[in-house]
Amino acid sequence: MTVAPELAEPVLEELRQVLGSEHVLTSKPARYNRARVPAPFPVHRWAERVPDLVVLPGSTAEVSEVVRIANANRIPIVPRDGGTGLTDGAVPVRRGIVVDVKRMNQIKEIDEVNRTCTVGAGISMLKLNEVLARYGLIYPDDPASYPCSLVGGRIGTSGWSLIGSRYGHSRDLVLSFDFVLPTGRVIHIGDGAGRKLSKSSSGYQLKHLFMGHQGTLGIATEATLKLFPKPEAELSPFFAFDNYDDAYRCVGELARAGVATFAGAVLFDEWKVNYLRRDDEAYIPQPTDVRALVCAVAYGYEDEVIAGGKRFMRIARDNGARYLGDEISEGDWAARHDRYATPLHGRTNAGQVVPMSWHCEDAAINYSNLPQVRLEWHEIIRKLREKFDMFDDWGMFTYTSANTGLDYLTEIDVGIWEQELDDASWAAWVDAKRDIAEVALRNGGSISACHGSCREGEVDLVPQELGGGYDVMLDVKRAIDPNNIMNPGKYGLDRAYESAEG
Amino acid sequence: MSAYRYTEQSEPPAAKQVTDVAIERFEHVFEVDPKLMTAHVAQQVFPNWDTLRIVASRHDHLDWMHRHWADKVISGQQLLDELTE
Repeated sequence: MTVAPELAEPVLEELRQVLGSEHVLTSKPARYNRARVPAPFPVHRWAERVPDLVVLPGSTAEVSEVVRIANANRIPIVPRDGGTGLTDGAVPVRRGIVVDVKRMNQIKEIDEVNRTCTVGAGISMLKLNEVLARYGLIYPDDPASYPCSLVGGRIGTSGWSLIGSRYGHSRDLVLSFDFVLPTGRVIHIGDGAGRKLSKSSSGYQLKHLFMGHQGTLGIATEATLKLFPKPEAELSPFFAFDNYDDAYRCVGELARAGVATFAGAVLFDEWKVNYLRRDDEAYIPQPTDVRALVCAVAYGYEDEVIAGGKRFMRIARDNGARYLGDEISEGDWAARHDRYATPLHGRTNAGQVVPMSWHCEDAAINYSNLPQVRLEWHEIIRKLREKFDMFDDWGMFTYTSANTGLDYLTEIDVGIWEQELDDASWAAWVDAKRDIAEVALRNGGSISACHGSCREGEVDLVPQELGGGYDVMLDVKRAIDPNNIMNPGKYGLDRAYESAEG
Repeated sequence: MSAYRYTEQSEPPAAKQVTDVAIERFEHVFEVDPKLMTAHVAQQVFPNWDTLRIVASRHDHLDWMHRHWADKVISGQQLLDELTE
């Protein structure tokens, strides 16, 4: 074991006293397995981001004690929930202590009258919903990592949900939570004096501040969530088009139709269809004149889903769509709840199959800007692929973020042959990521609708996106985390301490 | 019940070329054309029963996911048929 000098035996002993020896992990597997997230990274530099140790607290009080010890000894501390985020929020870039919250996975209360539940931050939405189904309820926070991401991580990243156009995203669904600040102090974040309000106008609205900070402001330990009736019915028709423009027009009309059960619409471009026709068995047999796809999704009571679904069908038909059939529609949609389980491969420029990891670079883009962003993003990847034969353009999809069709989670999926990455190709990829973010901002968007924006490359442009708001972000960080121990090295927040030191 | 015969299981049915990059050995089960997996991806003998088991498991998983999210799946085809009637 290699342990930083600050983590000498007295500190380890203090942590063991708080947590019990079995919950202070120092073995190589325990630490290396918590060094990365699914997003491809330069694996030849894996050792640079391995934590010094991992702790598994079982309660808010234990998390508080761990943080207090870390703060007293100026040891970096990194919260880790499912570790499924794609912007390195859970990566310990300064080593230190990883706080893995998976033991805090209890359901504390199910309130059927107020339609809420209170859970430990370490529970997955899938396991929670298995229990809630017995009550006819559901917690509809649905990331592509649904089976393996955890409630606490959704708070730390302010997650985006596949069916957020119907039910809202994590920030709408999490009502309140217990939160351990970088000093170890525990506060409750949310509206009102209790846990279960969805709206108050009293004081500053802190909930949004303490969501989406990528672990730089503290650790959520327990949350109260908003529940809905489990849907009676689901509909997810997929439509094929022979050109992108018709598909683009169709998805816009579907999203703007005002159907109450509308849970989301997705548009796949030509590059995505080419990828699917090459490597996705549902699409391999599709004729070559299928060049774009659209999907619309509805959840609710059967009668209302049928009524809204007929409207979907009419809109699609009027826009020249071909329905792809129930088997593809139902199968493809079901698979979207669980994209992290998909084994991946890509192609070299010569067409040979190679193992590749999946990087999806995302942005929030208004509907009217989607076509232009799409062209510029693909051109960035084309140039990258020309120089380095370890990247593969897997196409783009855009996905409604809201029920009025104004903005879309916009993603370009890039296959990366991680094992072949070296410093030069990684630097080129980081440049490409920065260029992708620049296109999003130039088109009036945000660097990220979903993942966050603290990875190498795009993070450089966060001050440009936030403007004066970024200065406030620095002030907040310094005020809440005076010793910069909470997930240091993220979002360029080190500069919050430069003026103080200068 | 038929006896297990190694040769039966280790020799997949003849491949049918379905696109320039994909083949089909079992009905509706598409595979990357093996000629594209000669340089970087090692090939191995894969028993027929295991191929079919993986496909069936995938369908089980998708069925489970549907039940997990809603009690019933509405047929898009049926809605479309009603529109055109």
